[in-house]
Amino acid sequence: MGLLTILKKMKHKEREMRLLMLGLDNAGKTTILKKFNGEDVSTISPTLGFNIKTLEHRGFKLNIWDVGGQKSLRSYWRNYFESTDGLVWVVDSADRLRLEDCKQELSALLLEERLAGATLLVFANKQDLPGALSKEAIQEALALDDIKTHHWCIIGCSAVTGENLLTGVDWLLDDIAARIFTIE
Amino acid sequence: MSLAMETGLCQGNDDPNPNETLKIPERLLKRDQARLKEAERRKDVKESSSVAEENSDVFFTTFNSERASIDALLSTCTETTRENASEVLEEATIKTQQLQQFLNDSMMFLTPFNLKQAQATLQALQTSLSEKRDEVLPKKKFAFKSRNVKGKTTLSPSSSITEIPRAARDKKTTVDTAVSPMQCGFSSADSQVLIKTADEIQQRDVLLSHLTGCKVRLLGSPSTLHIKHVRDCEILCGPVSSSVFVDQCTGCTLALPCQQLRTHNTKDTRIYLHVTSRAIIEDCQGVSFAPFTWTYSNLDADFTVSGLDRNRNNWDQVDDFNWLAAGTPSPNWTIIPENDRKTSWDELLPASSE
Repeated sequence: MGLLTILKKMKHKEREMRLLMLGLDNAGKTTILKKFNGEDVSTISPTLGFNIKTLEHRGFKLNIWDVGGQKSLRSYWRNYFESTDGLVWVVDSADRLRLEDCKQELSALLLEERLAGATLLVFANKQDLPGALSKEAIQEALALDDIKTHHWCIIGCSAVTGENLLTGVDWLLDDIAARIFTIE
Repeated sequence: MSLAMETGLCQGNDDPNPNETLKIPERLLKRDQARLKEAERRKDVKESSSVAEENSDVFFTTFNSERASIDALLSTCTETTRENASEVLEEATIKTQQLQQFLNDSMMFLTPFNLKQAQATLQALQTSLSEKRDEVLPKKKFAFKSRNVKGKTTLSPSSSITEIPRAARDKKTTVDTAVSPMQCGFSSADSQVLIKTADEIQQRDVLLSHLTGCKVRLLGSPSTLHIKHVRDCEILCGPVSSSVFVDQCTGCTLALPCQQLRTHNTKDTRIYLHVTSRAIIEDCQGVSFAPFTWTYSNLDADFTVSGLDRNRNNWDQVDDFNWLAAGTPSPNWTIIPENDRKTSWDELLPASSE
């Protein structure tokens, strides 16, 4: 038995995944993380640094990294790329002014070698706001259809109400599991 | 004599079972042989199974032969064979992906040099693949854009034609993002009094941009508030349900309640703040803070609409994203001393703006 096979089996046994959550500031990354974990979301502050949560979902152990999105923190994003199985890109659907910024940051990320194998989930967040763009509009604005290098999916959600958060994470888990845990 | 006796005695001891002296070494010999055989067998098993794959020579033989087959595949595909070119390219792409996967799987046992070499080879392969694709199937990418009729008639579309859909798409995106039925606000004004009433604002996104020397009153509860490129203005706003963004502001006075305040690229600005979570500053200088003191007739009702907690105000807890040193206070913001704080605000009536 080769070493790689052993390692794969170990990872399989643990059923552990590492998810990295990124996006512009005020996209709602921390709110998604806390809501998903069943915590209070009314007192969240802009993230100075990062949050990590480890939680169990559908028999998987998820390590979710939520890194602050302020401009001055974006240069540190790369410190969190290593061994990421899934990338969650969070978009503030109501923030029309910065969609171009958002598109550029995302496309820069997708060129990163260390994220090459990661599955991409785009959360079109804040769908509960009356001024929010639809997930189709976000898909077009971010030119997601041009992405050929990663498996991707866009889900419209609301971190405040919790709508569709599970749908998104479940899709992500399925896609990653199909890729990593193939020896069953 | 005694020596002879002793040897005699020894011999005598061995004598009763003379075969045993021979048997022991023979048994040992057999066991030794068996052990060697077992080791040989294990070695064979090891070599014949998985470990053979984890060997850089084997890796390179496989890798190179795969690469050669992809190269061959690519060379068969020319402009004259356009009908099946896409299939061939598809196959080549899949093979390249498999090769990448093979390389990824083998990463563990390759030396860094070999790994680099293999990666460079793969990179070159991908480049030639994409070049080939551009050459043979030049406009494939745009085939699904809304010009399939046009595309068929154009034999060799020039680059300027391919620019059109892209430009159109970009334009559409900007139009799409700029116009929002839920957005209101003021922009490009100089030395004016600007007032919005509760009916205009209620739970919408408000944008104030490119204002100079204006007095702005927002008498309601917006969903979010954006303040951009503003100079020497006094902006007073009712409770904002979520975030307030301040960007490129100079010499202003702001008063607002909100859940979060995010201040960027702002200089010499005084902020009278009620914030239920946190205020942050980034790339700012000379920003000073005091508690929110402005009031208007409907403030209490608007607080209820916004859902903000009136009893929680963290106005003096400001995070500076350019000042991560713990313990030392950031030089970029200060608290306005109590006697310098503004306590009375000009009363501006909506009528005066009309």
